[in-house]
Amino acid sequence: MSLIQITNTEADADIDSHHSRNIQADIAIEATALHKSFGSTHALKGVDLKVAKGEMTVLLGLSGSGKSTLLRCLNGLHQLTSGEVTVLGEAVHVAKARKLRALRSRVGFIFQHFNLVNRLTCLENVLIGAAGRIRGPRYGLLSYTKAQRREALGHLERVGLGDLAFQRADSLSGGQQQRVAIARALMQKPELILADEPVASLDPQNAANVMDLLFQVCREDGITVVCTLHQVDLALQWANRIVGLRSGEKVLDESTASLSKERVLEVYQQLDPDAEITTS
Amino acid sequence: MMLTKAHPEPSKITTSPRTPESLIPRPTREKVTLWIILAALIPLTLASAEHIEFDLRALGGGFGDVANLLARMLPPEVNDPPRVFELLLETLMMALLGTVLATIISVPLAFLAAANTTPHPLVHRGARMLITMCRAVPDLVFAVLFVRALGIGVLPGILALGLHSVGMMAKLFADAIEQSEAGPREAVRATGAGRMGELIMGVLPQVIAAWLGTCIYRIDINLRTSVVLGFVGAGGIGFALQDSLRGLMYESAMGIVLIILVAIAAMEIASIALRRTLLNPISAGPAPRVPDVSSALLPPWSGDRRTRTIAGFLLLGAVIYSLIHLRINPLVPITSFGELAAVFGRLFPPSISGAEELLLPAVVETLAIGLVATVIGALLAIPVGILAASNISPARPIFAAARMLILVVRAIPELILAVVFVAAIGLGPMAGAMALAVETIGFLGKLVADSIEEIPVGPLEAVRAVGGSWWDQLCNAVIPQALPQLIGHWMYMLDVNIRTSTVLGVVGAGGIGFLLMESIRTLNFNLAGTIILLIFAIVFMIERISAWIRKHVA
Repeated sequence: MSLIQITNTEADADIDSHHSRNIQADIAIEATALHKSFGSTHALKGVDLKVAKGEMTVLLGLSGSGKSTLLRCLNGLHQLTSGEVTVLGEAVHVAKARKLRALRSRVGFIFQHFNLVNRLTCLENVLIGAAGRIRGPRYGLLSYTKAQRREALGHLERVGLGDLAFQRADSLSGGQQQRVAIARALMQKPELILADEPVASLDPQNAANVMDLLFQVCREDGITVVCTLHQVDLALQWANRIVGLRSGEKVLDESTASLSKERVLEVYQQLDPDAEITTS
Repeated sequence: MMLTKAHPEPSKITTSPRTPESLIPRPTREKVTLWIILAALIPLTLASAEHIEFDLRALGGGFGDVANLLARMLPPEVNDPPRVFELLLETLMMALLGTVLATIISVPLAFLAAANTTPHPLVHRGARMLITMCRAVPDLVFAVLFVRALGIGVLPGILALGLHSVGMMAKLFADAIEQSEAGPREAVRATGAGRMGELIMGVLPQVIAAWLGTCIYRIDINLRTSVVLGFVGAGGIGFALQDSLRGLMYESAMGIVLIILVAIAAMEIASIALRRTLLNPISAGPAPRVPDVSSALLPPWSGDRRTRTIAGFLLLGAVIYSLIHLRINPLVPITSFGELAAVFGRLFPPSISGAEELLLPAVVETLAIGLVATVIGALLAIPVGILAASNISPARPIFAAARMLILVVRAIPELILAVVFVAAIGLGPMAGAMALAVETIGFLGKLVADSIEEIPVGPLEAVRAVGGSWWDQLCNAVIPQALPQLIGHWMYMLDVNIRTSTVLGVVGAGGIGFLLMESIRTLNFNLAGTIILLIFAIVFMIERISAWIRKHVA
C-alpha cells in the first residue's frame, strides 16, 4: 500500500512540472477531481488527468476499475457527478448539448465492440463519422455528396479495406470491423481519439495489427490518443505514458521511458500476473 | 432411485440435496394456476354456450340450409365484370394506402413509444396508450364513423384501415426499436450527431428490416379487412358483395367471394415472395470483392440492390397511381379535420339513453360468442395444426391437405363466413360463434403448426430412438415443448375473437355490434359513444387478462 502512495505523489509531482512547462494551448485534456457514481456504485473517486497534445496515453486497470467510465466522461457520453473536465479547450462538465456535440465531432471514439451498424455497408459506416459536421441526419449512400463518399473511401483505403467498401459491416471479421471503426473516427478529422479497449474482443494477431494501425495513423496525423488496454506489453510498446486505475482511483501515472513492466503490473495488484494479464 | 442403486457413489453425482419422498412432483405455482384456469373455463364455456343458445342440432339442421344455399350459389357467375374488377382494384388500393398511412403515423409514434428512444417516460406512456386505443377500436367501427363524417366512399375505408393498423404496426415498430442494440447508437452520438441523427443513422438501419416485414404482414391483413369494409359503405368490393346478397343473387355473390379468395391467396403468395427477396438479401454473407472500388463511389448493381430499388420505385408508383385513380388528395385527412372532429365530438358525452336494458346483455353475448368460438375453434384447430406441422405430420399428403385447409380458411374474411352462417342457421349469436370458430381453424391452426415446427428436434429424435410411436412422439416430445406457446396462442386467439365478435352484429350475427350499427343508423351518437367505450373497455380488459395469464402460466 505504501508503495502505491509513493507512486501517487510522484505522479502528482510529474503532472505539476508538466503543467508549468506547457502553455494552455498544448493541453488536450485537463481533468480534476472527477467523481462518477452509478446509483450506489462509485466508479470514479476523484481522478485527475492531464494529457498534452500529441501524447499517446494508455489507461490500464482491471475490468471495473473505471477506465471506460473515465473515457466516456471525457466526451460527455457519461455525465460527471462532480469535477471539472476541459477537452480541447471546451469545458465538458458545463457544456450544453450543442457545444457538447461540436466537441464530440472533434473527438473520435473507438469502442470495444466496434459498434458498427451491422446492416449498413462499410462505406456508410465510415460516412457516419461525418454526422457531426454535416447538417441533418442522412440515410443511404445517395444522401451524401460525392466528395464525402470519396473522402470516406480514402479513409477505408488507409486502413486497408478499400475493396470491402460495399460489403455489409457484419460480414467482416472482428479485426476488419475495428479497422472500419477507426476509419469512421478518422472521417471526423479528430484532434483526439479515445479508444475503449479497442482490441479486447480480438485475437492476439489481430489485436497487434489494429494497435499498430491505430497508433501509426494517430502519430502521422498528430492526433492525441487516450486508450484503455489490458495488455501491458502493447501499452509499453506504444504509449508515451501509462496511467493506472484501480477501483476508481489513479494508482500510476508515468512516462513509459522510465517505467518497468513490474511497476505496471502492480496496477493489477492481488492477481497472479502470469495468469491474468496476458488474457483479456 | 434407480440411479442410486446403479451407481456406486451416488452422493458425488446427485445435485439435488435430498431425494424426493414421493414419486409425484409437487405441483408448481404455474401448474396450479393453469389447472384453476382450465377448471374455471369449462363451466364458463358451457354457460356461455347455453347463453347464446348454441345448439349443435341447429347446425345439423343448418347443414341442409347450407347445402341449399350452396346449391343456389352454383354455378358462380360474375355480373358486370368491369365493375367487379374496378371494385377489386379499389379494394387493393385501399389496403395499400391504408397500410402506407399507418406506416407514416407509426414511425414517429414508435420512436415516442419505445422506452429507449422516448423523450420522456410520460410521453412513452401516452404513446403506448394511444397505440392500444387504436388497436382496441375495431376497423369496422372506425369505418362506420368515418363514413358518417366523410360520406360513402374509399376514403373512410383508408382512414379506418390506417388508424386501426397503427395499433399493431406502431407497437411492433416500437418493440423492434426496443430490441435494437445500443452500441451503434452510442457510436453515432460519439461522432457529435444530434438526436435526430442518432435515431436515423444509429437506430433506423437496425430496425428497418423488421419494420418492412411488419408492413408486408399488415398489408396482407388489411386486404382481408378491406374486402368487408364495403358492408358499411367504406368502399371496395364489399359493396358489390352486399348488393348481391341483398338482392338474393347468390350466384353472383359466390362469384365475388371466389374472386376475393383468389386475390387474397395471390397477395399471400406475393407477400411470401416479397419477404424472401427483401428481407433475406443474398449479400448478407460475404459478397465478391469489387476489383476497382475507388473509381465507383456507389455500390455495384448487385442482384438484390436492383431488386430493392425496383421494389421501392414500384411501391412509390403504386401509391401515386392509387391516389390519382381514387382521386384522393393526400392532404384530405388534414383538410377535413373539422368534419372528423365534429363526428367524434358528437360521441360525447356518452349516454345510454334508449338502450338501458340492452347494453349489458349485448356485452355478455359478445363475450360469450368469443369464448365459445375460441374453445370450439381450438378443439378443431389444434389437431389441424399438429397435422400441418412438417416435423410431426404422419404423412406428406396429410400435411399438404392440412396446410391447404388452413390457407383456404385464412383467405375467407370472417364477416363473409358470418354471412354464410347467418344464411344457414338464421340471425343470432350462434351464427357469429360458428363463423369465428371456423375462422379460428385458419388462424390458430397456422400459429400451432408454426410453433410446433420451431421446437428443438433433439427430444423428438430421442423419443424416436427409444422406439416411440407417433402418439409417444406427440405426447412426450411435441406437446410438452410447445405447450407454453400453445397457451399463449390460445389466449391471443381469444383476444382476437372477442375483438371480432364486437363487430359481427354488422351482418346480424349477434353481439354488441348490432346495437352500435343501430345507434349510428338512428343518429343516436351519444349511445354509439358509450358502445365504443364499452368495446374499448372489453378489448383492453381482455388484453390485460391475457397478459397476466401468459406471465403466470406460459
